[in-house]
Amino acid sequence: MKQLNEIICDAGKAATWLAYRKAAGQIRELLKSGAAKLQTSVKTAFLSSFTIDPLVDFAVVEAAAHSIDLQSYIAPYGQFNQELLNPQSELYRSSPQITFLLIEAESDSIDAQALRLGGLVDAFLKNSAGILVINTFPACSSWPLQVLPDQRRILIEKLNANIIECYQSNPRIQILDLDALVAYSGCQNALSPQMMSMARIPFSEAFLGMLARRIISHIIATLGLARKCLVLDCDNTLWGGIIGEDGLDGIQIGHDSPGREYLEFQKTILELYEQGVILAINSKNNLADVMQVLNEHPHMLLREKHFASILVNWDLKPQNMQKIAEQINIGLDTIAFIDDNPAERQMMRQSLPQVETLEMPADPSLFARTLRETGCFTRAYLTEEDKNRGQIYAAQRQRDQFQQSCATLEDFLKSLEMVVSIHPAGKGDIKRVAQLTQRTNQFNLTTRRYTEADIVAMTQNPNWRIYVLGLKDKFGDNGTVGLALVEIQPKKWRVDTFLMSCRIIGRQVEDSLVDRICSDAAKAGCMTISAEYISTAKNSLAAGFWDKMGFEKENADTKQVRYSRQLKNYQSQQFLYLKIV
Amino acid sequence: MIKDRLEKMFRQSFEIEKFTEDLSIDNVPGWDSMAHVGLILAIQKEFAVSISPINALDLTSVSDIIKYLVNQGVSSK
Repeated sequence: MKQLNEIICDAGKAATWLAYRKAAGQIRELLKSGAAKLQTSVKTAFLSSFTIDPLVDFAVVEAAAHSIDLQSYIAPYGQFNQELLNPQSELYRSSPQITFLLIEAESDSIDAQALRLGGLVDAFLKNSAGILVINTFPACSSWPLQVLPDQRRILIEKLNANIIECYQSNPRIQILDLDALVAYSGCQNALSPQMMSMARIPFSEAFLGMLARRIISHIIATLGLARKCLVLDCDNTLWGGIIGEDGLDGIQIGHDSPGREYLEFQKTILELYEQGVILAINSKNNLADVMQVLNEHPHMLLREKHFASILVNWDLKPQNMQKIAEQINIGLDTIAFIDDNPAERQMMRQSLPQVETLEMPADPSLFARTLRETGCFTRAYLTEEDKNRGQIYAAQRQRDQFQQSCATLEDFLKSLEMVVSIHPAGKGDIKRVAQLTQRTNQFNLTTRRYTEADIVAMTQNPNWRIYVLGLKDKFGDNGTVGLALVEIQPKKWRVDTFLMSCRIIGRQVEDSLVDRICSDAAKAGCMTISAEYISTAKNSLAAGFWDKMGFEKENADTKQVRYSRQLKNYQSQQFLYLKIV
Repeated sequence: MIKDRLEKMFRQSFEIEKFTEDLSIDNVPGWDSMAHVGLILAIQKEFAVSISPINALDLTSVSDIIKYLVNQGVSSK
């Protein structure tokens, strides 16, 4: 039997649906027999007005390439209405995390179409707790050479605008902008009358591959598997030429070619930074040369202040990569890497397969487009923390330098002037809460992942309480950095999830949240509070935390440790260095 | 050779042991009506020919496919 990687690779080379169909079958078999294992699995459902099996074949293979086991329920052909409207349907019984509803616009009336979609969406929201992905409709010209305005196209554009406006802020609905995707490929390339005739599929084979990648983007965004950090090479990646040989005036970066390709690429990187992607440099060079470009070159868009870590030396890049991960305090599996040199890419893939090393074209004018076409940074939404993350990490560098200048830890903590705010999660916190459960790995006591839909359900359930913790200090606002999900029963509270951004661990902030929960529980007349530590490959930092907080072990298991604490006569604690509001 | 190119395509698409002209929709596992559409697409792409849906219905064995391609002027060398 062939290996998983080989199967994926062969399908990609053949690039036909039939090859993907074969590969999807082999992948399903490998996973079923246990001969291969992937990191994540996801339950999905596909409902459509056209034949969807080929798209799912493409998606299964693309998902496996991202180490995702895509399990799917495929509704019988043409049954999407019944499946959505019937609360007892197979769709709802399969309880998918993500449901894709992909339908064509019916030709009769646009208003009727909007109404029908609204009815289906409402039924789904009532009967399922998962995420629903709906599509916009391709506003292709039906008479491209006609002089008269194409009324149908105008109506479809209106319908699309209506769909986006109506659903874009609903946390349980994602919009697959099929109109934009078809336009990107070109209507003639994306839509295929021949496929429609032979198989009742509106799309060409090549477009099915692209659509499948977009499907994977929705899955990555929903499960919070997006990469957090982009690590970049310098010479011939951020600028043309070699700084050590060509000098500050000789490298190519600016508004004229050669040079504008790199400016365009930097613009794209800056857009990612503004969406909260952390940036770092991993380059074989003299540090002083690179710093001179970052600080002095008149045309650079990316400057020293944008980078959370700058490793420039003559060491092997995988070694540097590990140091970058340590410095920023993130896992290697949250890093993507770009280097123009195929040999460096090869070495990174072999030494650190967890890092996503992006394949780059040889022509720098295509760098920006290649980066824009990766789905690995995709988000379902942007929180305030996302938008400010770059500055937050820059402030962290200042804090680290400041700590080194303080004589003792107490001096440091006192002079930080920390203000902690703890409040129950409101509507505006939902996205950030879901994101923290999905992305926090290190100081996360149970590592239970929740989607926005899950969190919405908890806020509506009186048996759950969500504590959200924000932290400010003299260097700025850290934003929402911690949370606890607590299940409340009259005599017993249970801490289901407790996590904290690891960059603030060790400043007593985590202790203050435990104290707040215990105080609230005691006030509510609860006698016992229980908690857990579930060990993962990444959260050893949090082992022993409940012991330190005065909880007692209830079992001898080291993988899943249960704790409890009696709350009789509980006294709230004082924190010397924290102002708690 | 048409046959070599077809063999490569069949091996990419189906799990077959031996490639012969006798292979057909009746004896290749996985060659069902859905896969047939995929096969027609793959043939069109590989040999740069256009196959109408009506002709596609008849191309249900390797020998039929070879005959069709030769008729379309695809070089047998």
